[in-house]
Amino acid sequence: MTPGPDTFAARFGLDDAVYGRLIAAALASGGDFCDLFLQAKTSNVIGLEDGEVNRAFRQSDLGIGIRVVAGDAQGYAFCEELEERSMLEAARVAASIAKSGATLPPQRIVRTPLPDRYPAARPWSGVTTEEKLPLLARLGQRASAADPRIRKVRIRFGDAESHVLVVDSSGRKAYDLQPMTVLYVFCVAEHEGRIEENYHAIGARHGLELYQPELLDSVADEAVAKTLLLFQAVRPAAGEMPVVLAAGSSGILLHEAIGHGMEADFNRKGTSIFSDRIGTAVARPFVSIVDEGTLPSARGSLNVDDEGNPVGCTTLVENGILRSYMHDRVSARHYGVEPTGNGRRESFRQMPLPRMRNTYMLAGPHSKEEIIRSVRRGIYAVSFTNGQVQIGAGDFTFYIKTGYLIEEGKLTTPIKDVNLIGNGPKVLADVEMVGDDLVIDQGGWTCGKDGQSVPVSLGLPTVKVSAITVGGEG
Amino acid sequence: MESTLRDLSERALAHALAHGAREAAVGLYRTRFIELKRREGKTETLQASTARGLSIALYVDGRYSSNATSYLVWSELERFLDETLAMTRKLAPDPYRALPDPARYGPTEGVELDLEDASYDRREMAWREQLVAEVEAAALAAGGERVISASADVTTQASESLQIHSNGFRGERRTTSFHLSASVTARDAEGRRPEDYAHAGARHAEGLPEPASVGREAAERALARIGSRKAESRRLPLVVENRAAGRLVSSLLEPLTGASLQQRRSCFADRVGAAIGSPLLTLHDDPLIPRALGSRLYDDEGLRAAPRDLLRDGVLVEYLIDDYYARKLGVPVTGGSTSNLILPAGRASLRELCAPLAEAILVTSFLGGNSNPATGDFSFGVSGFLIRGGERVAPVSEMNITGNHTELWKRLEAVGGDPYPWSSWQLPSLLFSDVQFSGQ
Repeated sequence: MTPGPDTFAARFGLDDAVYGRLIAAALASGGDFCDLFLQAKTSNVIGLEDGEVNRAFRQSDLGIGIRVVAGDAQGYAFCEELEERSMLEAARVAASIAKSGATLPPQRIVRTPLPDRYPAARPWSGVTTEEKLPLLARLGQRASAADPRIRKVRIRFGDAESHVLVVDSSGRKAYDLQPMTVLYVFCVAEHEGRIEENYHAIGARHGLELYQPELLDSVADEAVAKTLLLFQAVRPAAGEMPVVLAAGSSGILLHEAIGHGMEADFNRKGTSIFSDRIGTAVARPFVSIVDEGTLPSARGSLNVDDEGNPVGCTTLVENGILRSYMHDRVSARHYGVEPTGNGRRESFRQMPLPRMRNTYMLAGPHSKEEIIRSVRRGIYAVSFTNGQVQIGAGDFTFYIKTGYLIEEGKLTTPIKDVNLIGNGPKVLADVEMVGDDLVIDQGGWTCGKDGQSVPVSLGLPTVKVSAITVGGEG
Repeated sequence: MESTLRDLSERALAHALAHGAREAAVGLYRTRFIELKRREGKTETLQASTARGLSIALYVDGRYSSNATSYLVWSELERFLDETLAMTRKLAPDPYRALPDPARYGPTEGVELDLEDASYDRREMAWREQLVAEVEAAALAAGGERVISASADVTTQASESLQIHSNGFRGERRTTSFHLSASVTARDAEGRRPEDYAHAGARHAEGLPEPASVGREAAERALARIGSRKAESRRLPLVVENRAAGRLVSSLLEPLTGASLQQRRSCFADRVGAAIGSPLLTLHDDPLIPRALGSRLYDDEGLRAAPRDLLRDGVLVEYLIDDYYARKLGVPVTGGSTSNLILPAGRASLRELCAPLAEAILVTSFLGGNSNPATGDFSFGVSGFLIRGGERVAPVSEMNITGNHTELWKRLEAVGGDPYPWSSWQLPSLLFSDVQFSGQ
């Protein structure tokens, strides 16, 4: 059971009778289903620049989103106050999607017990600004003093606490308290007239307890090392070549190459390159890919999805065979399957969509050393900034910030700043080797879709793809 | 702005000043929007809401914070202000934080921008349903049997905002906007499902094009992508279609901001007065164009809006420096953001721009990639068409372009006469020589 009392009852005096009246208003025009999504969220960012922690940004959001489903159609309205009069008006707007006039009997509202996948020993609501300042000071001092070439250090430290309550017309009610924190350390370095910049980030559903001194030092050290490496880095030659993806954040490959294409809303509309391919072979038998929402304190983990559905592990690819899409309620009903707990939204202002949580490939049979040794001429990709995909054509990209050339089976010169572009199904089929060294990345990844951002995580063992087109020069 | 929200803004400002803020700036907005999406001959989603929020920048004992809340009940707002005032006091002082010099404040006088369509509230839902029905029908008709999915979207918005600063600035604006879009996914013989979209947007409903033209364009673009494949890696002339050009221009502008310069992460530091592009590269910013999507009488900091050149004939004229980074750098404020950004158009249509090229790639869309403002290095995913003998001969996809901004803009060889009309950045199609493509 999620600890603590439901904020919306305790602080705003809302009760099941109010929710019952809102649901009745939302279904008054004949919708098949409706849900209420209440959210109270406070986010803070504090920043260090030029050696001083001298800026802070706080955002406080409160509101309710009301959705009415009628067949495949959905009506949605939100309001930014919890007065019953305003909420009823939003319910009536959402209700206008439905035309049948049929009414459903009211259901008794019952709270669903939830697991506790991200307990925070020091929840952010109890952490003062004074407690955060020394963390930034330590990071800033360590990164600035690490090397004389480091000229500028910037830090963004973010924390958030979101109370969410989902109540739906089947009578299901779930309350969750979702913590989040992200930390970015950026470094600018100068060497022999050249300037380079890089960063390191971490993110997790944790409270203050996450930031032990060793972790802070490792983030500062990583940011410095990733920046200084760029002075030795070149851009590889342009064209197709074998690419070995380092264990960890290379999971961005899965997110773009297959993840988005397996979100069921696209498949329901036939607009994904993976539409109609369930049950077919898409990769070699040692390739298995999952989207798991239950990893303890991971950035994409959830106790309950944003439609009130339980969250588990969705198997996208099992031993090379395409198994399941990621569903929200609407797509699950369309396909006649259970929701997979992938219904997510950025806030109460948006409708839920099928979204990823923590997407990773299971460990395989090869060792990292034999994978690298197998490449005569190619690249080893280590860190990434961003990626994107065209769902239907299947083309996807991800941008390598740092990596190495592989020459005659050995890592040699560092590389930087090149985009990789491939086609999802082709790249999956071209996964030739999978390492036994799965790493779930702790980076502060955020996924965008239809203008909505949600936190996610990703992971990968060392993987070899036989050919991807590498941006490069010459 | 309704009087209760206006009063709340004044009260928030007064409260901040009475409880320790030396200066403060309050912004308040209220936006009503409706979005209707249609697919398979019926409404798929309808969203309609009013969003509101208050933001406040606090300057307390030489310290600074910026805060926002959507909970506009006074008792809650008062608590939010007290908490953020207390938080601000814990920070280190920043001697460069202050409200701008009132002498620079807008609004610019004597200009009527006409950004609000008085017909907004008379537009019924049936009118929106008709628009998306026409867009969808045109997409399906133009796409024929190869269409897997076509969707049409109309989004309309009526916004009002108020900005008040404790040192005298007071700005208020009301705007409307109307956007139509269509996206189409087509079937190709190899199992790929190429997609494309079309969009149009305007401040006034009457500024929208014929709805069918949006649906038709989306379908034609999607069909044109069928059978695309990568071309070989080589250096070729690059033509960038008008609506895609913003991707290159935005990454050119990032190293020109005050924040990038002050943080020493700019490949264009100390280059004012120097040529960083070919003589065809002029970037003119004009905030005072009636009915344009980027128009305004004052910017986010309250600064008076005026036309200016960022680049003229390839020479860097001025950076994008906001009030804070101007103080920190010890240089004059130039304004930190763009409004309607114009690259003066030539005469050639996109087709004419391609006509003299023996071999080139026309990029119609970017996919991912990134740009490093500190070095100017960029690498972007692209798709478009192979040009041979001046004609489009085949769609290409799954390729990258890679280069450096300090070189690329010197190779700007021709500018189209086709500024993109549906964005605040009115950029024409651009031709660059000798760009590295990677593919096969």
